[in-house]
Amino acid sequence: MTIEDAPLVGDRRRSAGWVGAAISTDHKRIGLNLGLCSLVFFLAGGVMALFIRAQISQPNNHIVSDQAYSELFTMHGSTMIYLFVTPMAIALAIYLVPLQIGADEIAGGRTTLAGFWIWLLGGLTMEASWLANDGAGRDGWFSYTPLSESQYTPGVGQDLWTLGVILAVTGTTIMAATVVWTIARRRAPGMALLRMPVFTWTALVSVLMVVGSFPVLIAAMILLYLDRTAGTHFFVGFTGSIDYQDLFWFYGHPVVYVMFFPYLGAAAEAIAAAAHKRWFGYKAFVASMLAFSALSMSVWAHHMYTTGGSVNEAFAFTSTLLLIPAGVEYFDVLGTLIGGSIVLRTSMLFGLAFFLQFLIGGVSGIWIASPVLDYSNHDTYFIIGHFHYTLFAGSIFGFFAGVYHWFPKVTGAMLRERLGKLQLVVMVIGTNMTFFPMFILGQEGMVRRISRYPEHPGWGTLNLIESIGAGIIAIGVLIFLVNAWISLRDRVPAGADPWEGQTLEWWTSSPPPVLNFPEPLPPITSYAPLQDLREQARERERERVTT
Amino acid sequence: MRGGAIPLLAWALLLSVLYAINVVWTGKGLDAAMAGFAVAATIVTALALAVRRPREALRSGPPPPSEEPKAIPTASYGSVLLAVGVAATVFGLSFAHFVVYFGGGLILVSLGLIAREGYLQRRALRRWREERQP
Repeated sequence: MTIEDAPLVGDRRRSAGWVGAAISTDHKRIGLNLGLCSLVFFLAGGVMALFIRAQISQPNNHIVSDQAYSELFTMHGSTMIYLFVTPMAIALAIYLVPLQIGADEIAGGRTTLAGFWIWLLGGLTMEASWLANDGAGRDGWFSYTPLSESQYTPGVGQDLWTLGVILAVTGTTIMAATVVWTIARRRAPGMALLRMPVFTWTALVSVLMVVGSFPVLIAAMILLYLDRTAGTHFFVGFTGSIDYQDLFWFYGHPVVYVMFFPYLGAAAEAIAAAAHKRWFGYKAFVASMLAFSALSMSVWAHHMYTTGGSVNEAFAFTSTLLLIPAGVEYFDVLGTLIGGSIVLRTSMLFGLAFFLQFLIGGVSGIWIASPVLDYSNHDTYFIIGHFHYTLFAGSIFGFFAGVYHWFPKVTGAMLRERLGKLQLVVMVIGTNMTFFPMFILGQEGMVRRISRYPEHPGWGTLNLIESIGAGIIAIGVLIFLVNAWISLRDRVPAGADPWEGQTLEWWTSSPPPVLNFPEPLPPITSYAPLQDLREQARERERERVTT
Repeated sequence: MRGGAIPLLAWALLLSVLYAINVVWTGKGLDAAMAGFAVAATIVTALALAVRRPREALRSGPPPPSEEPKAIPTASYGSVLLAVGVAATVFGLSFAHFVVYFGGGLILVSLGLIAREGYLQRRALRRWREERQP
């Protein structure tokens, strides 16, 4: 039983419209706001990427200046990581986790709301650096010292970038903490830990990593800001620079997995629903997620092999161990597909594309987990290819798998399947055209973060192919926006459960009402309670026919 | 264990083992400090969950039905204002110092608003109980 609007009793009526959406403590509204704002930042980061690709599509181009190029790649990386992929993963968790665990609300709705606004204002502070006289942040998304110290990068733009990161990451951490608390305290009766859906587990390990590692980046950025403005010397000299890198990558590697796990969960849910089968090897999957996340917090210095400031053997060991839990997940996908009644929906196809393309990122990761091989590839386009295969070809495809899977739940309308499949084809072509040649360029020695390069044989052609690929990706994103617009304008009603979903979010209406579940929940005896109901109904039907 | 602390403790244990290997292998103080933070943050959260009002074991089935209502906030001006205050304070460090003071003021006002929202929430519950008492 609840008293809705309790804090506003005798005070004022709940605000409607834009103001109501902005101050709502409903987890669905906050998740939606966070997702939509992240999407806007994604489009902004995408435009920056197009400028970057235009500049290096040919040797010695002069579309933007050298400094503008530095600002573009810094702000592109920062926007995508701090303001899109990570917060979008948290947005999915905020929206879906309470629904999947049968909770009527998120724990700490006010705290989550404050976290969202701190993140958003942090993002705007970061982007406000474009307005500074001396230009935006321009030291890369990791802002290594001593380059980012005030004597080498003076000006307000870099200061605003640093403060923006502090705010955005603080907001993200606050929101993640409320998701941890929700999973711990708000599960419905019967929703034991090993009955939580696959997506909720991926969200749980992600938010655990956020709480354990993101505060370290906040501390590093505060110290960097003090170095820049208050004359302190935390990151001076070789030791100081290595300390900064240690602090940064203690955040910087876990965040890669925060940007991966929830999308893995989304792809897994989409595949299981389209295969009409439970997720194969559930307990092994849960164990592998815990191991995966713990290991991913123990590999940070593999980004520092060439600095001379890390013990490479230790980090090569833990980095290579990551293969084991990753293998378990691929095994689970295959196990889920085998014997399933597969329907080739867009969400499922995006999920499969996620696993296939992430495989390329993962295999190239084995290469650079080895210090010996990494020495020749460090700071080359091989690295750019690797992390774009994990974060774009991986996470973004998982994100779209989630969008096509849960859009009907969030809006009550179906997305158009044909347009979705067209988007998939276009994006697969564009993604591989853009990022695969980077491996070749990296092997040939083309270094990253250069606005112009010599007319080395083949480099101009490969870069041109990459730039055309980037344009094709943009067309793919445009197709999605058109699809969303058409689907919301000419609505095809989705109903509560258009996919024969397995988890509790499909028990309630689409979109779910305030407090989520007006009807009593079904018995929860496994991680797929709705699948249980269907199987029981089929069993009863069989018995009836037999008798 | 009650309260949802099990996955956190399991994860903290995994982290501890990995970080112990790391610290022995690398011998770096900063690594030990960062690792210690991550493990400590996880264990403190797990302990907080275990110590706070323990809940019924979920697996044993639903708890007995309760007529006691929950007062759930649906909107909060205070939280938004708190975020704006924090952001203004931080932004002002680089932009202009008067914005820092403005942000500090907003934080104070927002804390007052949040306290008021909490009071109204408790009052709504109290009134609900009073209305139902014979």
